Amino acid sequence: MTYQRLNSLLITMVVTVAFIWLAIPFTMAVLWSLVDPAEPWTADKLLPPVMSFYRWVDMWENSSLRYALISSYTLAPSAALLGLCLALPTAFALGRFDFPGREVAKLLCLLPLVVPPFITAIFFSALLFQLGLNTWRFGAIVFAHSILFLPYAIRILTVSFETVRQDHIDAARDLGASAWARFRVAYFPALKPGISATLLIVFIQSIEEFAIAFIIGSPDIVTIPTLLYSALGQDFVRPNAAVLSLILVVPNVFLMLILERLMRSANPALSSGKG
Amino acid sequence: MTLRDWVPIVALLVPGLGLILVLIGSVVYIAVAQSFGYYALLGQSEFSLEFWSDVFGRKLFSRAVRYSIYVGFWSAVLSVALAYPLAIWLRKPFSGSIGLGALLKAPLLVHGLVAAFLYINVISYNGLLNQFMQGIGIWSEPRRLQNDSNAFGVLLLQVWKNMPFALLLLTGAVQSISDDILDASRDLGAGPWARFCKIIAPLSISGMQAAMVIIFIGALADFTFQTTVGPTNRQSMAQLMVSFKSRGDWHSAAVVGVSLMTIALLGSALLAFTSRVIMRGGLR
Repeated sequence: MTYQRLNSLLITMVVTVAFIWLAIPFTMAVLWSLVDPAEPWTADKLLPPVMSFYRWVDMWENSSLRYALISSYTLAPSAALLGLCLALPTAFALGRFDFPGREVAKLLCLLPLVVPPFITAIFFSALLFQLGLNTWRFGAIVFAHSILFLPYAIRILTVSFETVRQDHIDAARDLGASAWARFRVAYFPALKPGISATLLIVFIQSIEEFAIAFIIGSPDIVTIPTLLYSALGQDFVRPNAAVLSLILVVPNVFLMLILERLMRSANPALSSGKG
Repeated sequence: MTLRDWVPIVALLVPGLGLILVLIGSVVYIAVAQSFGYYALLGQSEFSLEFWSDVFGRKLFSRAVRYSIYVGFWSAVLSVALAYPLAIWLRKPFSGSIGLGALLKAPLLVHGLVAAFLYINVISYNGLLNQFMQGIGIWSEPRRLQNDSNAFGVLLLQVWKNMPFALLLLTGAVQSISDDILDASRDLGAGPWARFCKIIAPLSISGMQAAMVIIFIGALADFTFQTTVGPTNRQSMAQLMVSFKSRGDWHSAAVVGVSLMTIALLGSALLAFTSRVIMRGGLR
């Protein structure tokens, strides 16, 4: 068999597997979300007999979906902004100063990624109990999310700070620019894609985060993943779970594609899906 | 560097790295302290080994440890074993290779819970797989595939979610190997297997180790896949920890948590070391 024939055989195989792997399950999810309760979708029918947006409307009006959307989409931007503010000074130090132990500091920044999320969640909640802050749920989640995703933020921004050109800063200083003006003309243009990428990555991670939201948020705060989790467990209604799955996955896929583009412009070496 | 040079650097590091160290440090500290009887929410806080001996004496715990290691180990090995040939195949661009790479990495964009739902949908009693197997005449009646006792469902989902991640790391590692080295080895008469063993494997080992370790830790500490599609007669360590905690038994939860961290650490080191030995073809 020639190399080219082998290659096209492999391509066909991978595309077929990916079809079974992705397209079929997602099509099923879309179809299940459209099943009208007037007539159930039984095993003998290829497509749902009656299709409508009833489940979508019903979920919107009669479940915690609206509340979960509001809390997820309030938590995420808050965590993203806080994460950015916390990451900027550290990234500035790591990206612009050469000091002994810099590599160790960079490694230590990755710590939140190594500790399993449920350990962080449970013992962070133990800490909140000890401090008497266990009713401070919303703030605690924002705080925990922003720190948990700092590794991404610090790494992206450090690279951005490294790309700021010293001759631009020097030129601005020679021309008498103030500290603020130097930041605006020399730093900001190089940092811009990194800042957007940071905001977006923390936003996406926070929307998707489950352990902290589940352990610390419950029972008061419902986010989309915790709602989906309960929809998969004790209150499993397939069409409702399908609606929730699509609500969780579709916007994030688009956001990730934007992120991928931003990362490419921030630093080609970092363009890697979730980072 | 003088003290005056250090002050601004430390001040800059405090809000980012400082907070990370404080949060993760106190989380680990509380877990360890609670496992030894301190920071009791109810009753007395005093040093005690009782919780360790109590939890270690339970069958439930040893089963959870074995089960979590099983899931962690096989998820890491299977994901990397599947991703390696794909990464090597996609090393040199050909028409459609970028699209294929994107297609293979697509599960990275899908939330784990959504993946679990999609899987349940396909394998459910009246699901597509059951209908297909009956349609082609292999099975005469639908089978119960959900929550299978060997945790094949959990492993399948772990691989579904983690293989793309391993592919991402390995593609990077494999693509950084220059053509010159591979051409030289080909000129010297090395076949595909020898090229893999002597050139590609040793040069992509750190990417492979990183993938192994990250997937192992994630799958070892899995909660969501286990509670949605995992066997109902066994618990993963994270699940056991959460169930202790929700009963208010923080000390036992802490024992499980500390054991989980220790296994994650030791297991990662062992996996990284073993894979290095295997890929380099022996201890050198």
